[in-house]
Amino acid sequence: MAYLVQPDYVKYVCSCGQMKPITNLYFCRHCLKIRCGFCICHEVDSHYCANCLENMPSSEARLKKNRCSSCFDCPSCFHTLSTRATMVQPRQDPASGDAKVENKQPKKMYYLSCFNCRWTSRDVGIPDQPVASGGWPERVNPFANRFAQLMEYYKAIAQQEKQEKLDKERKKFAIRGNYITLTDKTGLTGAMARNRAGMPSSESTSSAIANFVLSQATEEVEELPDDYHSREVNLKMITTMPQRLASPEWQAQQVSRLQPIARPLSVKRSQRCRQCDHNLTKPEYNPGSIKFKIELLAFYHVPEVKIISYETIKPGVTSALLLKLTNPTAHEMQIQLIQPNEVPEIEEKEEPKNIEKSLEKSLNLEKDMSWKSVVERKPTLPSAIKVNNPELTFTLAQRDDAAEYDDDSHHDTNDIILWRKSNKLALRLQLTADENAKVGLPAVAVVALQYTYRNTVPPTSTQPRDHTLYTTVTIDLGIVSQ
Amino acid sequence: MTLYEGIALIQEKQAVVLDLGAHYTKFGFTGEAAPRCIIKSEFWCPMERRYKQVYDYNTTEELYDNLVQMLHLLYFRHVLVNPKERKVVVIESLLTTTQFRETLAKVLYMHYEVSGVTWWDTGRACAATLGVGTALVVSIGAREAEVTPVVHAAPLVHAIQVPPLGMQAVRVHLANILKEDNETELQLDDNVLEDILVRTCFVPSRTLAIQLASEGCNGVRSVVCGGAGTSVRVTGRARALAAEPLFERDRDMASLPDAVLQCLIQCPRDTRRVLAENILITGGGATLPGLKARIAHELRHLITVEPYKDQLHIKTFKFHSSPCEDNVCAWVGGAVCGGADGGGRAEPRDVYLRTQRLRDWACLLHNTPPDHHHRCP
Repeated sequence: MAYLVQPDYVKYVCSCGQMKPITNLYFCRHCLKIRCGFCICHEVDSHYCANCLENMPSSEARLKKNRCSSCFDCPSCFHTLSTRATMVQPRQDPASGDAKVENKQPKKMYYLSCFNCRWTSRDVGIPDQPVASGGWPERVNPFANRFAQLMEYYKAIAQQEKQEKLDKERKKFAIRGNYITLTDKTGLTGAMARNRAGMPSSESTSSAIANFVLSQATEEVEELPDDYHSREVNLKMITTMPQRLASPEWQAQQVSRLQPIARPLSVKRSQRCRQCDHNLTKPEYNPGSIKFKIELLAFYHVPEVKIISYETIKPGVTSALLLKLTNPTAHEMQIQLIQPNEVPEIEEKEEPKNIEKSLEKSLNLEKDMSWKSVVERKPTLPSAIKVNNPELTFTLAQRDDAAEYDDDSHHDTNDIILWRKSNKLALRLQLTADENAKVGLPAVAVVALQYTYRNTVPPTSTQPRDHTLYTTVTIDLGIVSQ
Repeated sequence: MTLYEGIALIQEKQAVVLDLGAHYTKFGFTGEAAPRCIIKSEFWCPMERRYKQVYDYNTTEELYDNLVQMLHLLYFRHVLVNPKERKVVVIESLLTTTQFRETLAKVLYMHYEVSGVTWWDTGRACAATLGVGTALVVSIGAREAEVTPVVHAAPLVHAIQVPPLGMQAVRVHLANILKEDNETELQLDDNVLEDILVRTCFVPSRTLAIQLASEGCNGVRSVVCGGAGTSVRVTGRARALAAEPLFERDRDMASLPDAVLQCLIQCPRDTRRVLAENILITGGGATLPGLKARIAHELRHLITVEPYKDQLHIKTFKFHSSPCEDNVCAWVGGAVCGGADGGGRAEPRDVYLRTQRLRDWACLLHNTPPDHHHRCP
């Protein structure tokens, strides 16, 4: 809960240099590195409607423009619309006389209604439907026709241009300066310009170009009515900006022209480590489930640091900081506190270049690592507060859900270790603030952890199972005070 | 998923069109008549615990982070496609800073690994929605109005006028009038101001504007906006005069109609008449009721007075209307052109990665004639 509602007091330094709370981080078991949302690759996994929890295959979602076919949102307040049923006596046709007596049964009719703002589909004159779901009239974009014409026209021009280019190449007119003008840069235009100037094009112009009607400019501009300014303004009848933009196709300006909005779908995302292309998270397919098939969160693999309490930081004064460390893994963990500058730089191992590798490179199959240069940054860590690390290696027991029912047997408490409880441990640390630390600036202490980690990936012959890993943590201790 | 994606592999993936405006971002697919979403250009920043504008940045790195977060929002919340291996059409102003362009390219090509990007400028994209090759595009955006002459589908860069007369100027003016009329210090949120502007304000015709200036605005109905406690009285003066900054002529002649005429003066003589008969007023600001008519009135008046009377011999002004809502005009142009060429004109990713820089009209590296002695080999 604290991670959701409180500011992030403890932040971990991700391998890409971003600083994030542990709940926002991932841990790649294959690279043994912390990853975050910034340096991983997100992928759309499955589409679903968040209202009816119905899955939709991606091809169908594309066809339906990412909208659910049975759920609607209120165009007025964006709450979900509910289907209401009414009984309607079918209107008797006077011409048919009393021949159809059996048709007199009342019929169920359905309309949409918003329980939040009381908007109904009857308000805007949408006829009631005989079936409960689906069948609502679909609106077409008023400009769709003209748009299709434009599209056809430009496609024909692009086609013609391509053809001309081919012809040109065939005729070996290839010498062309590399001086680019704006016309060349963007294209479409050479043919258009020729067309405009009435020059004959080399090919016979296709019918799409010939039949296209250019937009006609007029001298008249739509004017406001003369008494517009003295008319009464009824704000209830004019839509707000969010209401207009909720349906970009129509952007109704009058409340009477609002239409139910088919509910946009949501997606489940899977996430992938960019370095090794392994999945970090993969959700279950069922939209109702919030579980994951793969869930490599840092919260389950990296020791968690929490602040218990701390003394106010003053320049040049040594103060105490109480931290709680937790081992979330199922294996015993050795932890040592070190200075952040003692963290060894992880050098990228230069893989031996064999013939296969160079072949890959020549075939352009080598993994694309261009993202590295823009994604990875060097974090700037504050150094005003020094943590006096104890020269001690603590052992943290594995996580054991049954442990809280046990009496703790070992109490090896001393002036550094305050208490221990199953996989948790409280530490008392001494902080020395720099004498020149400016009063009023945020006080941030930096601690680096060296911890052992047992990899649970099925071991290969070359990889060791136990690793020594490092992580750097920044701890927000309020502001430096007088 | 892979099963269904099989069909898509055969056909070319639809490219996405991105129009990253100062206030609103339009995003959707090529070949569609309207964007999938029009959302504010802002995102929730968990570090600063506030909504952050994309254009709110001090360093390139901050801009990079903003763009990464904004695009993540667009791709995974609204359009729901994988950015990887999909082409992008970017709609931008010709006067976008190099810093912004290069950073956006970096984010698209390297962070999201898109397969290609086509860059379209607003002027040409707007003109493309008409099908005509020559048009004078007046695009009234959030921060500035851009007057771009497009001749035979090429923008005349030297004649572009960009007065800072966008909806932001109107909004500031409206806030001032409201403050004076309500005689209190109103702390109105930008969203509230926009709401008032969009729902109550209008642009009076030229005759009415003159009449209002001499007689006062008592004839214009006032209206009360907002609910109990936070209600604001929007006077007739505020309703009618909010957009006046666009038409205020001082000695600098820096009004919007002036900018249009000055743009025409800068254009080659033989194009002036054609341009004046192919004016397209568009952009989010053009949706203000009466604005287009007022610009037409002002143009027809100004052409009869000094200094334009002697310099421009234009008799008629004709106006186009684009086949879309005004606020998405540039986007629709991008969607049409991006869809028509099938992404053939996009700069592919591997080409970008080789040099990691974009071609730009302002850069002499790309614009020096081939036989010029300054041309790099």
